[in-house]
Amino acid sequence: MFNLLRMDLYRMKRSKSVYVCFFTMLAVIFLCYLLVYLLGTPEGRKVADRIGMLTVYDSEGHVVSDPEMKMVMMEEGEDLLEDANLLEMFRDSDMRGGLHNILFGIAVALFVCGDYKGGSMKNIMALHRNRWPYIGSKLIAVGILDFLYLVLGFGFNCLMNLLFGNMLPFGSWGDILFYLAWIWPVTMAFAALIIALCVFTRSITIGVLGAVLGGSGLAVMMVSTFLGYFHLNGWVKYTLYHAINNGPSSYASPEDLRCLAIGLVFLVVYSVVSIVLLIRQDI
Amino acid sequence: MEKAQERFAVETLSLSKTYSGKAAVDHLNMKVREGAIYGFIGRNGAGKSTTLKMLCGLAKPTGGDIRLFGKPAGDVYTARRIGCLIETAGLYPQMTARQNLVMKAKCIGLPDEKSVDEALDITGLTDTGSKKTKHFSMGMKQRLGIALALLGNPDLLILDEPINGLDPEGTREVRKLLLSLNEEGKTLIISSHILGELNKISTHYGIIKEGRLVEQIDAESLERNCKDYFQIEVDDSRHALPVISENLPGVQAEVLDVHRIRLYHLEDSARLNQILVEKGIQVYASGFHHMDLEEYFLDRMAGMAADDQKAS
Repeated sequence: MFNLLRMDLYRMKRSKSVYVCFFTMLAVIFLCYLLVYLLGTPEGRKVADRIGMLTVYDSEGHVVSDPEMKMVMMEEGEDLLEDANLLEMFRDSDMRGGLHNILFGIAVALFVCGDYKGGSMKNIMALHRNRWPYIGSKLIAVGILDFLYLVLGFGFNCLMNLLFGNMLPFGSWGDILFYLAWIWPVTMAFAALIIALCVFTRSITIGVLGAVLGGSGLAVMMVSTFLGYFHLNGWVKYTLYHAINNGPSSYASPEDLRCLAIGLVFLVVYSVVSIVLLIRQDI
Repeated sequence: MEKAQERFAVETLSLSKTYSGKAAVDHLNMKVREGAIYGFIGRNGAGKSTTLKMLCGLAKPTGGDIRLFGKPAGDVYTARRIGCLIETAGLYPQMTARQNLVMKAKCIGLPDEKSVDEALDITGLTDTGSKKTKHFSMGMKQRLGIALALLGNPDLLILDEPINGLDPEGTREVRKLLLSLNEEGKTLIISSHILGELNKISTHYGIIKEGRLVEQIDAESLERNCKDYFQIEVDDSRHALPVISENLPGVQAEVLDVHRIRLYHLEDSARLNQILVEKGIQVYASGFHHMDLEEYFLDRMAGMAADDQKAS
């Protein structure tokens, strides 16, 4: 398996799509910070007003045109960042909207389907007749990629916060480490789902579609809405999407480990499904 | 010495593969001696690629058994003794030739990249530099496919259409390469539609039809079976045949159609022409031929089709 892993890491390092997805993620995080700065801080609101992005209304709903009055109102305006910290901002910008999962899922789909696209799968499987190490290697490789996306994504959040004048407090290291520790296996479970999809269909299109529908939560929402008519949507809280969106930001009780447990169960299930699919298939 | 000849690189016992109830490979018993170049011949859809895929562990047999170098096909260490090129080269298009080979070397677990350079050198791809394989010609891709199969110094090479898309010069180079690999002691199984090329290098042949191996033959026996014959083209073979039988009793005649007759063991062609002219039979063309592998293959296929028709 480690021979396969060495091969996978070698390819991953040279894969353009991995970098494109990562830098797209960073670009969206930058835009989030820019918007938060422009709308959530007094200095930012002034800039937004100067470039015509902001209109100030008084309590009766009339547009305020007097510059002094406008300035006062902008400085006294609602503080959007009152309870926010860096971790919450990271969750809002990167995780809750599905940005991380969509882009990471696309990178995984392109990476796994790359073996099928050019027929290299035949060269690999002719050497590795036991099929499970292939899935094992893919999981470890995408696990490393996931870790790098999460940690570097968080690092980029810190950098952006610094760039925009430390508008958010850092929070506690303990909370940050706890969050990264449970979100990693949960997002890896999502990657295992994409691997299973790619192994089953061998299609980049299906893999990418799965990443978009699964990562954004559209798939869960559609099924949940439909089953909601029959009052059968209690299962939603056991989905990866729900865990990622509503999981805890700090550890208070063992109940907070439920998301981690959900992630691990799905990780095992999807990995086994991938292995079984690969064993049953001819290449 | 005799015992060494009986060692088989590949043995299949009643190997079968069905897709949706239809047999792609039907109770195939194939034996490939170590050190042989085995030409695997058959029409499109005859089951060649499926058989080769099963040998490479890419498709699971629905029945029968495969033994590679006397060991079960699933044996992990035996798999390392096989290099294969099935259908396409199996390349990463965004990578260079060298990077593709390094990938395979890592997959095998080769400790250094010396063998990568050797494989590039053997297949004449050393100068491809940073050119990505998506920009390679068909011939270059095939050569890289062979280079990939050669990595790890396998004892058995399974090559499905290795000379597909190669120009005459490339074909000659690959032929020379395959012969030199065989001289090193490697066993080769080669499937190809270019029978003329197979004919130049193969030491043994297997002919597959509708999933069944209809004949396994070595090159010497094939040479014996590819009899010389004399073919005549006359106005009406129905009139010519009794004349030949009557005047040349030792000659075997085979009527191909209403105009053409093939004659075996004919020694005096001038006399035959003379007899036919004397009997008022017009001879449009005549001449000696030697059957090549292609003709032999087509002959076998036609013969079997006739047998099948009779049986039904």
